[in-house]
Amino acid sequence: MLTKFETKSNRVKGLSFHPRRPWILASLHSGVIQMWDYRMGTLLDRFDEHDGPVRGVHFHATQPLFVSGGDDYKIKVWNYKTHRCLFTLHGHLDYIRTVQFHHEYPWIVSASDDQTIRIWNWQSRTCVAVLTGHNHYVMCASFHPKEDLVVSASLDQTVRVWDIGALRKKTVSPADDILRLTQMNTDLFGGIDAVVKYVLEGHDRGVNWASFHPSLPLIVSGADDRQVKLWRMNDTKAWEVDTLRGHMNNVSCVMFHAKQDIIVSNSEDKSIRIWDATKRTGIQTFRREHDRFWILAAHPEMNLLAAGHDSGMIVFKLERERPAFCVSGDTVFYVKDRFLRYFEYSTQKEVQVAPIRRPGSVSLNQSPRTLSYSPTENAVLICSDVDGGSYELYIVPKDSAGRSDYLQEAKKGAGGSAVFVARNRFAVLEKSSNQVLVKNLKNEIVKKSPLPIATDAIYYAGTGNLLCKAEDRVTIFDLQQRLVLGELFRPLLLNMLFWSSDMESVALLSKHAVVIANKKLVHRCTLHETIRVKSGAWDENGVFIYTTLNHMKYCLPNGDSGIIKTLDVPIYITRVIGNNIFCLDRDGKNKLVTVDASEYIFKLALLRKRYDHVMSMIKNSQLCGQAVISYLQQKGFPEVALHFVKDEKTRFNLALESGNIQIAVASAKEIDDKDHWYRLGIEALRQGNVGIVEYAYQRTKNFERLAFLYLITGYLDKVGFMCKIAGQNNNLMGQFHNALYLGDARKRAEILENAGQLPLAYVTAATHGLTETAERLAAELGENVPSLPEGKSHSLLMPPAPLMACGDWPLLRVMRGIFEGGLDATGRAELEEDAAAAGADWGDEDLDIVDASEVVANGGDGFDAEEVEPNEEDGEGGWDLEDLELPPETETPKGCQQCSLCCICCAYTRHACQPNLDSEIFSGWGACSSREL
Amino acid sequence: MKSMASSPPDQLFGVRNSFYVGAYQAAITSSQSLPAHDLSPDDLLERDALLYRSYLAIGSHQLVVNEIGPSAATPLQAVKLLAVYLSGDAANKESVVSRLQDLLGDPAVGSNPILRLMAGTVFMHERDYAEALKHTNSSPAGTMELLALNVQIYLQMNRADHAEKQLRVMQQLDEDHTLTQLANAWVDLAMGGSKIQEAHLIFQDLSDKYPTTCMILNGKALCSIHMGNFEEAEALLLESLNKDAKDAETRANLMVCSLNLGKPATRYLK
Repeated sequence: MLTKFETKSNRVKGLSFHPRRPWILASLHSGVIQMWDYRMGTLLDRFDEHDGPVRGVHFHATQPLFVSGGDDYKIKVWNYKTHRCLFTLHGHLDYIRTVQFHHEYPWIVSASDDQTIRIWNWQSRTCVAVLTGHNHYVMCASFHPKEDLVVSASLDQTVRVWDIGALRKKTVSPADDILRLTQMNTDLFGGIDAVVKYVLEGHDRGVNWASFHPSLPLIVSGADDRQVKLWRMNDTKAWEVDTLRGHMNNVSCVMFHAKQDIIVSNSEDKSIRIWDATKRTGIQTFRREHDRFWILAAHPEMNLLAAGHDSGMIVFKLERERPAFCVSGDTVFYVKDRFLRYFEYSTQKEVQVAPIRRPGSVSLNQSPRTLSYSPTENAVLICSDVDGGSYELYIVPKDSAGRSDYLQEAKKGAGGSAVFVARNRFAVLEKSSNQVLVKNLKNEIVKKSPLPIATDAIYYAGTGNLLCKAEDRVTIFDLQQRLVLGELFRPLLLNMLFWSSDMESVALLSKHAVVIANKKLVHRCTLHETIRVKSGAWDENGVFIYTTLNHMKYCLPNGDSGIIKTLDVPIYITRVIGNNIFCLDRDGKNKLVTVDASEYIFKLALLRKRYDHVMSMIKNSQLCGQAVISYLQQKGFPEVALHFVKDEKTRFNLALESGNIQIAVASAKEIDDKDHWYRLGIEALRQGNVGIVEYAYQRTKNFERLAFLYLITGYLDKVGFMCKIAGQNNNLMGQFHNALYLGDARKRAEILENAGQLPLAYVTAATHGLTETAERLAAELGENVPSLPEGKSHSLLMPPAPLMACGDWPLLRVMRGIFEGGLDATGRAELEEDAAAAGADWGDEDLDIVDASEVVANGGDGFDAEEVEPNEEDGEGGWDLEDLELPPETETPKGCQQCSLCCICCAYTRHACQPNLDSEIFSGWGACSSREL
Repeated sequence: MKSMASSPPDQLFGVRNSFYVGAYQAAITSSQSLPAHDLSPDDLLERDALLYRSYLAIGSHQLVVNEIGPSAATPLQAVKLLAVYLSGDAANKESVVSRLQDLLGDPAVGSNPILRLMAGTVFMHERDYAEALKHTNSSPAGTMELLALNVQIYLQMNRADHAEKQLRVMQQLDEDHTLTQLANAWVDLAMGGSKIQEAHLIFQDLSDKYPTTCMILNGKALCSIHMGNFEEAEALLLESLNKDAKDAETRANLMVCSLNLGKPATRYLK
């Protein structure tokens, strides 16, 4: 028994698997119904409306519904999506034992201690039939999976089969008048829609369970006489076939297995028993220490069973479903239906090689567990659990490929596991003595070697080496030198391992973890999964691709991982070739899954610093999405991330982070809010890009900063202009500041006068020798003329002249990623041409200056370019100056001739290259980033 | 054999195998890096012998002659004699042979396997196969190395049948021993025919297991030549020539290849 999931709870009386999702319902003796996800191992929901034990529960096959019945005599139908009980069906007069939906009609069948079975229509919410006849509690009732039959078991020691054909006919054509008449009769006389077909007598005590075979006319029943009985029926009669004895107490539930020829029963004797349905013999018994078993359920599609007991439930499988396989070069060898087969990847051809021996004893889990193949000798080792662990060695003659009639006597041996360690040598683990027997192809022992650690299993680890798995560690052991080459202490329950093709890396897979190590078992990374890891393979680039129950994932050498795709059913990867992933499914069929590998190839390229690859992938817009962007940001590649982002705010932030002022300006323009302009200004100032600082201040009308900027950059005429603006805005303080910056005493006096500060204006005028004004002001002040300090010579306070006037400061070198050059290649080519043209005027040129001044052209031309370049769009100027009516001369200061020239030039540049950048690259990314990964 | 069967890890394993497959430089480095205090006196002696033999193999005859003093143990004296023999002229050689005879006649040291091995090697160089076999193939039973030398001597005598018998003995002792594998390959090569395939697989296995050496590459190339794949052989040999431009065997084989491929062969003569 392979336990997949276990819960601890009150006694579980009812169980039902969801037909598609990995969910199971468990109804408890405490009155609660639990809905579990048995894959993730989480409690999804609980439904607590029944009063007293809930004994029966069942999922609907297609609708989001389930039905439950309990000791409160109520049948409740629930919608698990809305977490609500939709309605309650009343009618039974005693405990309800089981409830079940019909697979096709809107019916529910229920069995009750009131000795009746009822069939309900859950759409009309009425009882459509009452099946009477049992004269004790009815313990279970269920529909036949195909025919119009119901089987029931009762404590009156009988099993009954009921024919509900009439009920179905009525449902199919309910408008029929005659049938309506019978409906009346039914109401009056208690039902002819369902009649007893057979009464099966044979049990000596009350019968607890009876169920149909999924396809054959067979019934199996279990009773308090501790027996399981098998019954057969035909059109006219039904009879007892055989009795299965073995349980030591009441048999609580019994059923046929849907896919194998076996019967599963459980009992209050705390055991689950598996029986061979043909030979009618016990195959296996699973016991629990303290818990009596009450209920069994089978998954309608998958090979899963569940059993409820006194303190919870278990979800389990009887047999392993992973096909044994072994990849060698271009082929994968595997076992399917008792045949050794191989599949060639290049031709995608399947060949049946040889039949393999059937296990002598009928027992579960005897199918091959592992395969090992020696290509030079064409020999295959098949290990299984037969006889407590054994192997078989098949040597396949080369010419027999394709001949299915070829049969040979396999060489056999006992041993925990067996693997090839060299061309013509294989190692067999002898657990009892903890040693390895090295054998040749004649199955003769060549050498014995004691193992350094208590080993559970051995695996291939390069020629002559073995990987030994113990409880607390794995080691690589050199068989010839008897040396431990590498050890990994990690309590991992190793299930499988996969070597990369160069034998440099190994992936160790356990139930819930993937561990990547190198060939000396030095740990590289560990990935933990919440659900089971199923298989894996290395791709040619060193990415490990693996599957869990429901995902296909990748793991990069640094331990980064992600999901490649979601899986409906578990698959076992055998080989990865580029985008093509070959795998085996549980039926042993080879499948080819084509995946989009670009995400992990991209990340791998980033990791390996293969920027040329990264770039070409970006250019071809092979991927995108928020995940990639945040990955790039997180890994310190904001400049790459920038190329994927559409959202302006994110773009702005990334641009600032990567110092790409150009894009930041473009984004800031789009966003156009104060905060962003301010941050842009700070970054531009940090880089020394005065033009953009100016532009940013202009956009936010931050006059004070702007004026100061002009001052320190030597644009004194602009400071004067700022002064005018301040005057216009009645910003006296600003005006005064600017006058002070300019060292214009006359202006200062004028401002002070206008502000009504006549004494101050007088002092200013008098100090700086503006006698005319001083006299006028003195006259106005009359006797309040302030006295000037005696004996002090005056001097005009002038701000020092800036070192670098009129232009950008030396620019901070922004580290440009290797990407940027390549990414902007198209746009930049033109840019550079123009830069060269501009460079003629500028002397020493810097690309960054061009970038920046381009932006000056974008907006900073509020003063300069607008007048000279009449084609400039309106509104670009950033603020309204129309009402100022300043003479053009003052607009284009002589000192800045070159600067404005450059601006014109760059205005052209912008027009030339911007559309290019925008439309080609950005729109490409834009379109792409809207697609979610 | 004694060290083969012992269960504690074999300290000299790496050195020995490097020497066997012709990775002499690796043998020298790893033998020098072995911690001397971990080794038994026997192992120590064997290590030194292997070290000096590796030096001999890369042609440093004089170094060996100078390093081994008169007080060194008999096996090392034997190695020194081989060094003298290999570096010396005819007169020297004669004295080496007579000195060897003296040592072999001494009942105290005469049966030392390394001494016998060296004697066998010298007599083989002397083309005195009978004398060589007298020492290498006598009782007490030889070591793996002596057995392997026997195989070589028989092959030199064109007695592949006897060589095969020796090989059987080796296989019974330890089939997976590197020397058994090598001897197997030599015998296969001498027998030719379908055996070539097996030899090829053995060399393939060795090259998977150990770093490729001129010896292994030459082995592979020989198999290819036997199978008529001269292009393949040439590629292998050129790889070998890259590793050691002076390797005589490689050059000789390359000439064979070139002649068969219709290419000028004289450039390998010089």
